[in-house]
Amino acid sequence: MGKWFKEFAKGLVVSNPIFVLALGLCPSLAVTNSLDNALGMSAAVIFVLLCSNVLVALIRTWVASIVRIPVFIVIIATFVTMVSLTFEAYVPALYESLGIYLPLIVVNCIILGRAEAFASRNRLSLAVADALGMGLGFMLALIIIAVIRETLGSGSLSLFEHVLFSLPVLKEQPVSLFLLPAGAFLVIGLLLAAFRRMGLIKNE
Amino acid sequence: MRFNILKRFYAIVFLTLVVIISAGLLSLTYSLTAEQIKLRQHEQFLGYLAEMFPEMTNFEYNDELYYVYDGALLLGYAFTAGKAGYSGDINIMVGLSDKETVKGVLIISQTETPGIGTRILEEPFISQFAGMNVNDLKLRSEGGQADTITGATVSSKAVIEAISQAAVEKLAGINGQDE
Repeated sequence: MGKWFKEFAKGLVVSNPIFVLALGLCPSLAVTNSLDNALGMSAAVIFVLLCSNVLVALIRTWVASIVRIPVFIVIIATFVTMVSLTFEAYVPALYESLGIYLPLIVVNCIILGRAEAFASRNRLSLAVADALGMGLGFMLALIIIAVIRETLGSGSLSLFEHVLFSLPVLKEQPVSLFLLPAGAFLVIGLLLAAFRRMGLIKNE
Repeated sequence: MRFNILKRFYAIVFLTLVVIISAGLLSLTYSLTAEQIKLRQHEQFLGYLAEMFPEMTNFEYNDELYYVYDGALLLGYAFTAGKAGYSGDINIMVGLSDKETVKGVLIISQTETPGIGTRILEEPFISQFAGMNVNDLKLRSEGGQADTITGATVSSKAVIEAISQAAVEKLAGINGQDE
């Protein structure tokens, strides 16, 4: 159990996929312009990561090693397409705003990276712990970035069309730069610097 | 050597198996969601129709042409047009207030370059069609009245050509029914 928890906890802070491993930056730059998008993207990534880690761990002893990467990619692409069709059918607004970044989860290096580096070498329970930890770590990072960007870029923060708070001056004069890709780079860069200064992130 | 061949054969069989299972799962998901997706696209299209004809109460769909009514009064016609733009298809809805006059044009879906090709969604390009005679739905260089966007020639030209081609086809349908 101790080992299980260790594998689960590492994804949250010590090896956070975004802030420490710096994997999957492309979707995290693109979809963090609003909290809703960040949550939708994280949900999709957690689902795909969990399913692919479970399946890869289950078949790991039977996979012929020369075809393991194609096998992993087919597995991941299958789950991503299933998520994508489900989103299109039941949450169209989210599907529209995630756009190309939803199918691009296929090539998200967090997912293939965890399948290759972890799930294909560990037993099922640990693969589940790793997927949940990494997935929640990804979600945590996206939420932090999205909250900062949406607050500064639009002057208010809303969750599922329900306004959480609205800032007096920023609402009239929002810094719309933060909603643009350049703002995403600035926020991620400053967060990385701040976390490093505070000692939350350490060089290995 | 023999062992090696067996190993490779196994790898091929394994990958094939994975692909077959994946295809099965995907077609299952597709068949479960297809109806809902179609329904949603239909609802979205109705939304566009209502946006184009705010007074619309009902419509008839016949031979790829929408006849829009306010009660018994014919408000106009609508049809869809599509053509490949700079990156992917541009789908458009065109509304006519009568057989000769364009009521308006809406872009239903597009995947043009953000900030450049996406200017086809903006003024003054998209509103230039309102009130235009269908015969003028051509580029200025071809004797029409439609202007392209500087720097986004491919995208805007695709929109204009899609509309004019579809208008010619669909109007033949309207006129054919009169006779």
